[in-house]
Amino acid sequence: MGIQIGDKGPDFKAEAYYRGTTREIQLSYYRGQWVVLLFYLADFTYV
Amino acid sequence: MAAVAVKYPAFQELGTEVLAVSVDSVTTHKEWHEKELSRMVEGGALYPMISDPDGKIGHLFGVYDAKTGLDLRSHFLIDPQGIIQAMEILAAPIGRNVAEILRQLRALQHHQATGEFMPCGWEPGKPTLAEEGETPSISGKVWKVWKPRNAF
Repeated sequence: MGIQIGDKGPDFKAEAYYRGTTREIQLSYYRGQWVVLLFYLADFTYV
Repeated sequence: MAAVAVKYPAFQELGTEVLAVSVDSVTTHKEWHEKELSRMVEGGALYPMISDPDGKIGHLFGVYDAKTGLDLRSHFLIDPQGIIQAMEILAAPIGRNVAEILRQLRALQHHQATGEFMPCGWEPGKPTLAEEGETPSISGKVWKVWKPRNAF
């Protein structure tokens, strides 16, 4: 069974492009505020 | 993702951080941002564009598609305690509705602040249903306080 409503969002750490720089992002760093995590297929696509 | 960039201030007003993820490298994110996103949206995308080259993050959230090697278009709303409160996964040809994501966020925040239930199509200013403690009392009487037209 995969992830479900009410589960803790699994933590991850990864590199990101952020306002002109490369930044390491960790989900748990955002504890205390709402997060919308958006997955998308690929850069340079239009949908 | 350009549409998300346009609405980034609305997410900020709701105290919400946007984290975007695809399997592209940071270098490709940078190129896309410079060549396209920043031309479509003034200032470009102000949220972190996370690189998930091996689909590890997508796999954690159940959206990595091994057939294509891509993370499927999807969103997860995670509350301040780190709990997943909403999720949606879409087939590749279908775009998301950013206004609906914002609506879900507002509804979830209103519910957490008041305990009220947020009926179908709720937007700020529309009626809510009773607080959780009063739930049994509204059973069978919803028709008195909520009309289907409120959904649209």
